Amino acid sequence: MARLIRTEKEVEGRYEEVWIVVEEDPLEQWPEGPLTVVGRPAARKDGHERVRGEARYTADIRLPGLLHAAVLRSPHAHARVRRIDLAPALSLPGVRAAVGPGEAHGLEEEAGFAGAAVAAVAADTNGQARAAVEAIEVEWEELEVVLDPDEAVRRELLTGGPRRDERGDVDGALAEADVVVEATYRTQTVLHNSLETHQAICEWLGDTLHVYISTQYIWGVRKDVAEMLGLPEDKVRVVCEFMGGGFGSKNGADEYTFIAAELAKRTGRPVRCALTRREEHTSAGNRNSTIQRLRAGARSDGTIVALDGEFTNSVGWSGWSAPTEGPMRMLYACDNVRTVTYGAQINTPPMKAFRAPGFAEGTFGLECLIDNLAARLDVDPLELRRRNYADSNEGTPYSSKNLADCYRLAEPHWERRHEVRARSDAVWKRGVGMASQIWYGGGGPPSYAWVRLASNGHATVITAMQDIGTGTRTAMAQIAAEELGLPLEQVEVVLGDSARGPYASVSAGSSTTPSMGPAVRAAAADAREQVEDIAEQRGLPKGTPIGEVVGLLEEAQILGKGARGPNPTGMTVLTFGVHVVEVAVDVETGEIVVERVAAIHDVGRIVNPLGASSQVEGGIIQGIGHTLSEERLLDPATGRILTTSLDAYRMPTIADVPEIVCEFVDRPDEHLTNLGSKGLGEPPIVPIAAAIANAIRDATGADVHQLPISREEMLRALREAELRAREKEKRGAPASV
Amino acid sequence: MELLRPSSVEELDGGGVLLHGGTEVVPLLREGLIDAERLVDVREVVPRGIRNRVIGAGTTLAELETEPAIPDALREACRLAASPQLRNMGSLGGNLLQATRCWYWRLGYPCRLHGGDRCHARDGEHREHAIFANEFCASAHPSDIAAALVALGTRLRTNRRELAVEDLYRLPDENDRRTTTLAGGELLLEVEPAPVEASTYLKAMDRKRWSFPQVGVAAARHTDGSTRIALAGVAPIPWRIDGPDALDAATPLPRTEWKVPLARALVRRALAQLA
Repeated sequence: MARLIRTEKEVEGRYEEVWIVVEEDPLEQWPEGPLTVVGRPAARKDGHERVRGEARYTADIRLPGLLHAAVLRSPHAHARVRRIDLAPALSLPGVRAAVGPGEAHGLEEEAGFAGAAVAAVAADTNGQARAAVEAIEVEWEELEVVLDPDEAVRRELLTGGPRRDERGDVDGALAEADVVVEATYRTQTVLHNSLETHQAICEWLGDTLHVYISTQYIWGVRKDVAEMLGLPEDKVRVVCEFMGGGFGSKNGADEYTFIAAELAKRTGRPVRCALTRREEHTSAGNRNSTIQRLRAGARSDGTIVALDGEFTNSVGWSGWSAPTEGPMRMLYACDNVRTVTYGAQINTPPMKAFRAPGFAEGTFGLECLIDNLAARLDVDPLELRRRNYADSNEGTPYSSKNLADCYRLAEPHWERRHEVRARSDAVWKRGVGMASQIWYGGGGPPSYAWVRLASNGHATVITAMQDIGTGTRTAMAQIAAEELGLPLEQVEVVLGDSARGPYASVSAGSSTTPSMGPAVRAAAADAREQVEDIAEQRGLPKGTPIGEVVGLLEEAQILGKGARGPNPTGMTVLTFGVHVVEVAVDVETGEIVVERVAAIHDVGRIVNPLGASSQVEGGIIQGIGHTLSEERLLDPATGRILTTSLDAYRMPTIADVPEIVCEFVDRPDEHLTNLGSKGLGEPPIVPIAAAIANAIRDATGADVHQLPISREEMLRALREAELRAREKEKRGAPASV
Repeated sequence: MELLRPSSVEELDGGGVLLHGGTEVVPLLREGLIDAERLVDVREVVPRGIRNRVIGAGTTLAELETEPAIPDALREACRLAASPQLRNMGSLGGNLLQATRCWYWRLGYPCRLHGGDRCHARDGEHREHAIFANEFCASAHPSDIAAALVALGTRLRTNRRELAVEDLYRLPDENDRRTTTLAGGELLLEVEPAPVEASTYLKAMDRKRWSFPQVGVAAARHTDGSTRIALAGVAPIPWRIDGPDALDAATPLPRTEWKVPLARALVRRALAQLA
């Protein structure tokens, strides 16, 4: 039965209070451990389609009469359009329409960053559109450019008020602490670099707008577009069957969608607006850089008594200030914690959510600081983490927390450090480091699914969700197959079209499986109960296989529907984990090789162990790029982006991938839905940078303070460590007479 | 735009942009950094393959990286360059003539190499730039293979002349912004490394593969007992030094200081390998 409740909705660490209608979730959870289909490795249902090139991504769609849009972007980091003339563009061959500032949402007169959209053109070919964009004449009024986040904070150029939080008495605790460590950590700007660039095709059919878009949130795009264009939502159809990655950067409709919609309206033809790889580097969002000024105080027994952090997020021209302070507030039991977070509004491209926004950055700072503290206290880093284990989330109980089991599973990997260190030689120093993971990932209502069961014993799950590439089709099919007692091959999943199925949640915040999975199970259970009812009416014995019962149906079908139930009240749903990393560092050249990563995560029940390990591997590889080689660079004078190509912006290659060992606690969260599963998209990227940095310290004694840990940073830290050692030796040496 | 496929050197005189594997020319065309009404595919014209010590400039890096008959330094420089796809297409001659990776140059800033009046990298973002000869232009030469060939004392034959590989390069100056001495219509045909007793190429990258050299060090011990060392990624052109102490004379920019100890370590290591 549907019920109206007021609840806190969390996406990527941002909470809002909302009224929602939820359905009861009366199903008992399945028992722990691998079942018949769920909990057993399953190859991707769409694997062959994808590798054969048959899967149709937005970039593959060719509608009859399709026009191509190109976007004029500001070359200036801050400027205002004084005068713009679209006529030269409109006079060029193949050009069908052009729009300027104010004529489509996202085209603005004031450009707050180099790469901001100003105008756009639609033409018969991509080349014609690009040539036409170059012909547009703009007279710019250049405005003051602010690029330094500290300056922005001083001048109170902020995206919102500073976020302050304090519990206990931090100053008092620091004054009484036996040991205080203090450090400043910096993280860089990195780019999502989705394989499929941001893009949409818009086509008007009658008064309905059809939007084909590479998106993580079909229903969010539908709402955004309807709102901006003043349309009823059911006059907007959004389609995304396959997509080539998003990582948080495709959570809504963006300027390219509105440009395509407006140009399609003006020309009466479908219009594609696709970002180029260059635009992907300037205008598609980023994980913003941060500055973290941190202090920790502890008693000599290892009890952390105070944590103090000042965080500056370089948000850019727009965007939101991610919870970089989250790990400091949430990871450890500590009575005295004070954080302040500033979101600096500067003339750089806007941030967008990127795989655990804030927490990936904040965990780097915090977990490096904790290892620093362990060194000062001469306490084993794993032991220090255990001594400060949190039993509640700032006073609120967890729905489940098995971080202690993660630590226990990490022990054999952590024990390897003696043997790893012993393999060091004069040049290559080896060491082992660890870092803990904390993040959200509980998902939530609303989310719905239907199940259609035919007389041939085949079932189809129908829901208007998207698969951002994580293997959603397979996991959803496994859940339905388990509930129906059917083999996986007899379950198909239809998704990716707002006109063909009920509302489904965003695929962000590690929420797809925990939001959609329970709805799919509920729909399958509804179908199963109907089948059991029929079996009883026919006098078939209890437990007759579903296939035999529905074989009697001929053209009739069984239709099940299911909804995601509410999250547990009065509890915080979080994911946990720990990474243990082995590195080798060439102390003469500063080369860093990540040799092995053991990743242990606690995300409730694992639906598909094969898909789950793929997620972990992907997160670790992306995290290695974040840690060692990726950085978006700006010209410090103009704020223009310099790393606009994939040879200047360096993502890891397959040769950079270490041995990855993946383990799960795999215990259902007994308070969370009929499934007990949490999300896993984001957790694996959270601890990797800190674990690598801590392994580097273990190997070399060098303290790295910024990402990426380039050769420049590594050689600086090695030199500093050498000077420190020499200084210590000098002080320790007996005074000569 | 037209594409010509001449079958002899004599047919080249009509002008146009020469193209072999296209891994450099095509991106430069796409970015508008070079203009061409005519592309001339020289794959039929430039010798390919190896006879004795002579290597055709049309030989691909992929062919060279598995070639046992060439000196270690050259083979290793080929192996560590670019990606397998690029090495399958890219030719030795084209590799020697590639332009700098300086982002200001690649993005078309009006820098000195583009005929402008200042080096944007010197005052700007220059962490990957030069530590030698960087006063006028701080760009860093990206070719691993050029450094290897210089260390190997290689002779180069074009359709016009024969010269030492290092004489193919020149430092840009106020009057002439080019970094090579190649004349219009001149085409690289063959290279011939001197016989050496031992050689090596060491390369620092910021990931394991598909990266231009942060610093590349080629060293060769020649039959006359001399040792030649050449560096990639440290000056606007391949840069010869006598030994690790030469790095004391480096003139790094604030954010290229890290390259000096890195180069020193790699030079020492290379020399130790030759001993």
